[in-house]
Amino acid sequence: MKTLIIEVVDAKRIGELVTVARIFGDTPDILALGADQIPGTFGKAYFTDDTVPANLIDGAAKLIQQEGYELVLLSATTVGTEIAGPLSVRLGAPVLTEVIEASADKTVTRPIYGGKAVATFSLSQTPAILTIRRKYFEPATAEGTTTAEALAAETAPVTLVSEKATEVKGIPLEDAEVIISGGRGLGAEENFTMIREIADLLKAGVGASRGAVDEGWADPSMQIGQTGNIVAPSVYFAVGISGASQHLAGIANAKCVVAVNKDEDANIFKRARFGIVEDYKKVIPTLIQALKEE
Amino acid sequence: MARIPYWNIDYGILIDAFALVAVAIFVYGIQMHWKRIQQGKVRLRTPVKDLPGKIGPVFVHSLVFKGILGAKIYKKLFTGIAHGFVFWGMLVLFVGTSLVVLNVWGGVPVFKGSFNQWVMSFGLDLAGLLALIGVLFFLVRRIMPPERLTTPKARAGFVLQISLLAIVLVSGFLLEGLRIAANGPDTYAFVGNALAGWLPADALAAHQLLWWGHGLLCMAFIAAIPFSPMMHILLVPTNAALADPMPGSKMGVIDFASFDDEEAEEMPTLGCASLADFTRKRLLDYSACLWCGRCHEVCPAASTGKPLSPKGVMLTLAERLTNGGFEDDGLIDELTADAIFSCTTCTACMEACPACINQPKTILKFRQNLVMEQSRVPELMGKALNSLEQRAHPFFGTGSGPKEWCKDLDVPVFVSGETEYLLWIGCSATYEERSQKIARAMVRILDKAGVSYGILEESRCTGDPAKQMGNEFLFSELAQANIEEFDALGVKKIITLCPHCYNSFSRHYPPLGGNYTLIPHVVFIEQLIAQKKITPGWSSTTIAYHDPCYLGRRNHIFDEPRQLIGRVGRLVEMPNHGADSFCCGGGGGNYWAEEVGERINQRRSEEALDTGADKIATACPFCLLMITDGTKKFTEDPKAFDIAELVAEQLG
Amino acid sequence: MHIAVLAKVVPDYEVPASDFELTDGRAHSRYKRMIGLYDENAIETAVQLKEKNGATLTIISYGSTNDIAVLRKAIAMGGDALYLVMGDSDDPYVIAANLKMAIEKLGDVDLVLAGQQSADMDRGLVHGLLAGMLDTPFISQVSHINADSDQWTVSQIHEDGTRELSFTGKAVLSITSIPENVPRIPVVRAIFAAKKKPVEKIEGIAAEPMTVEQKSVEIPTVESVCEFLPLDDIAETSKILLSKLREERYL
Repeated sequence: MKTLIIEVVDAKRIGELVTVARIFGDTPDILALGADQIPGTFGKAYFTDDTVPANLIDGAAKLIQQEGYELVLLSATTVGTEIAGPLSVRLGAPVLTEVIEASADKTVTRPIYGGKAVATFSLSQTPAILTIRRKYFEPATAEGTTTAEALAAETAPVTLVSEKATEVKGIPLEDAEVIISGGRGLGAEENFTMIREIADLLKAGVGASRGAVDEGWADPSMQIGQTGNIVAPSVYFAVGISGASQHLAGIANAKCVVAVNKDEDANIFKRARFGIVEDYKKVIPTLIQALKEE
Repeated sequence: MARIPYWNIDYGILIDAFALVAVAIFVYGIQMHWKRIQQGKVRLRTPVKDLPGKIGPVFVHSLVFKGILGAKIYKKLFTGIAHGFVFWGMLVLFVGTSLVVLNVWGGVPVFKGSFNQWVMSFGLDLAGLLALIGVLFFLVRRIMPPERLTTPKARAGFVLQISLLAIVLVSGFLLEGLRIAANGPDTYAFVGNALAGWLPADALAAHQLLWWGHGLLCMAFIAAIPFSPMMHILLVPTNAALADPMPGSKMGVIDFASFDDEEAEEMPTLGCASLADFTRKRLLDYSACLWCGRCHEVCPAASTGKPLSPKGVMLTLAERLTNGGFEDDGLIDELTADAIFSCTTCTACMEACPACINQPKTILKFRQNLVMEQSRVPELMGKALNSLEQRAHPFFGTGSGPKEWCKDLDVPVFVSGETEYLLWIGCSATYEERSQKIARAMVRILDKAGVSYGILEESRCTGDPAKQMGNEFLFSELAQANIEEFDALGVKKIITLCPHCYNSFSRHYPPLGGNYTLIPHVVFIEQLIAQKKITPGWSSTTIAYHDPCYLGRRNHIFDEPRQLIGRVGRLVEMPNHGADSFCCGGGGGNYWAEEVGERINQRRSEEALDTGADKIATACPFCLLMITDGTKKFTEDPKAFDIAELVAEQLG
Repeated sequence: MHIAVLAKVVPDYEVPASDFELTDGRAHSRYKRMIGLYDENAIETAVQLKEKNGATLTIISYGSTNDIAVLRKAIAMGGDALYLVMGDSDDPYVIAANLKMAIEKLGDVDLVLAGQQSADMDRGLVHGLLAGMLDTPFISQVSHINADSDQWTVSQIHEDGTRELSFTGKAVLSITSIPENVPRIPVVRAIFAAKKKPVEKIEGIAAEPMTVEQKSVEIPTVESVCEFLPLDDIAETSKILLSKLREERYL
């Protein structure tokens, strides 16, 4: 299928969408947001200066109709979400979001009920739009760089007033091989210091469950879960996290989950490979000690 | 020689004029209290009339035993005895003085014969001596007070009144001594007689001075009564007479149906925010409180470092009642919401109170206001309430579905017209893994005994957690739904596994229209064994029993659980047992709380483990969860069990 | 100013995985129904906006009359009225078309807020479709909204940071959860007052569903055997854990 990726210029995000595109057919074309030098080799590449998705819908729709793209791939991120719905209406194209599995026979799978169930769909009509959940597909390696041609901007109803990138304290979650997350069970914001300390020693990223973020103990950028970051580290330490399905959805592809929770009935133990049923305040310091001794 | 009234005193009759003045001031003072208390609201609920032992609004037994005989004071033996000395001593002296008046005004011959010897001389001297001993005890007590008298604050006015009384008593004896020294020995008046040996026989002027001093100080004492803590002489018996002796805080229910027709703005205040929102009975409570601190001592929250002190609440309200700010609804913030939510509703404070004060009702009324009028509730409790509202049980985050507890059991469902007993599982035994075993044990016992019982198809909650957390509205919604269901099914008898369920069903459902026969599971099991329907084996395991607050102290069910334990093992009593049982910390919604200070359940668990018993038994799923958690601090072995589990284990 | 908030009544989103079952590919009907969590964040945001700017707030939902009892909570939180479009489709196009119809019926809606995603279908799609159908801009994951005469400024939280965006005219915004928009608990008085607020029931319209075919809905089996480590000597346990993680090459 003739496929167009619409994405910000980020090698991993683009790479994952390329992998999906290749499941359905050939290497896709790309419409990039914000920069004209795109990692990877693409037949056709376009870009827009404007990175506000609301301003791109018209231009993207026109391009897709003109070039006859049959499949549009987006990541299930803010950008992808803001494009998917409006673009679908503009094109009259069916759209499925948060896709976690795809196969060449044009079936895709997506989670529902917080990940407690999965629904499989068959695509028949083109064009079709899919938003792909992060970290469920291996990013294709980007070879070379492509210079994109500018796409004519249409109207810009929304103005970007300012932007601020989150200052990542320590290792970014995106690439971390090891992640340590704190949940409601930590009890207070200052208890994240302990988490950061062990993360430093393990060279791990620091995450948080939605419960901890809603409390204001952790920045939303640290949130891991269905509606936060989807991560796939080698080891994931869940500290004081109960393990609601929405959180588990964020770590579905984590290879080894270690859970520390004083409640032996906590759901997290159904997902964990190793479990310690104890107050984290007793466990983490000894882990820190053991790591320091090495 | 027999005593002659007004001996050596000219114009002694004038003392009566002073007495009239003192009495007038006294009456004025009483009126002041009356007016203060009358500011309160009239009780909404109709007091139950024609109860045995009740004459009009007066609970006679309570008035006599608690109000007049002061039975509760004796829980602290020495204080009780000292108080008895003072009270009865002064009462006898008062009668004695009245007899003198009768003699003077009416010629009643009290100073003749053996009556004079044994009553007027010996009796009054003994009374005065004992009273003086008691007064001195209290004076020393006030100078070197135990902590409960001064934490959080000490009540002013005691030292003055006690000193006055001491001076009055001492001067009285001195007067007697001087009189006897001048007029000849009176062996029956043994104190005065002994004193006379030390006193001059001719100190007539001193006697006169002392006589007027003694009389005037006495008048001063009487006049000052309503303006000092001594007003308790009248207030405490009044409070005892009017306080419903039924155990528990008697919260009552709110009829929300009546608000449906009103505009929301016209709804009366829910709960209480200022003094003006309380009833007269509550205002009487605050007036009667002596700030003795016994409630503070036994309060599980106060004794583990929580911000709550039941005494603190009472004294704050008492001060406000005296000093002004009757309508000020900043009162809650003065007490602090944290303190108000720390209460586990165990009612140990009520149990300890010698003045029959209902502290928990006041605290819960504030809580109702916070939750229903202001939606101010601690976070975890809020989540429990939210869960109760959304999914009809408070156990948010549970990993169990509603049928998890019986997943491999064949439990009969209640069939209308056929099943005798409804086995009410309750939310805790349904959704908490540890408590589920209580339900399983009970099913096993009932099956073995061949009882006709059934459970509801759908799992439900009585709504009691909402009531405890102050959300009467949510409680009545859940209760109405349950009542509808029960009545549709024709439920008549209910076996409960949880004393909270038992309490709500038996106290709060009837006013909402739900009348059923309630049996707590331990009582039912004991009955089954007595009827030989099951015969569990005995073992020599020692079992310490933790009385759940809502079964024991709040509903006076102490014996059946003990009998039951005795049938399967050896009962061991904890230091704080029976009506003095120490709360597990889970009541009042505090099962869902972030505790500050020492954890109540750990303290109780330590007490239980210190008995050295092999096992700890309880009869409440919340107690079971709290104590199971509490013991984890001290031991890894599973120690806490429900009595049903212990019985089922012994069924073979 | 007139704000509309979309609220969806969904099956209990905290049903434990062990108790979750489907009938006909959808959650069993025995689960209690409640307003989705992000929708409550959106309602809270809307109520705060209403309080700050003196706006009217209408709650709009698509579902059945059984849902009205549940939606009263939204009104009690601060809604002025409930518009319920009656229908039972769970196709996002049909739902969006019906919501559009309700908004057009109201006529003077300035801003539409919705929760980031529903708690049942988790599509996070209907609000975007609605924006497309209304031909207004769509901004997702909004945390703060400010009105200044005719200009709106919103803050957005995305994966790598935050953005401040501004626009004039109408828009559809989806709301993410932050500590400041934790939904308020309505006081009892408000619950009673809510019973008297207007509920407008509108017949749903037929609309073109999306052309995809649902092939199956399954509950994935989670196979995981957790190895519980010993608790008697935590220091030792920590060492054991680290060595196991290294042995199995996770670390």
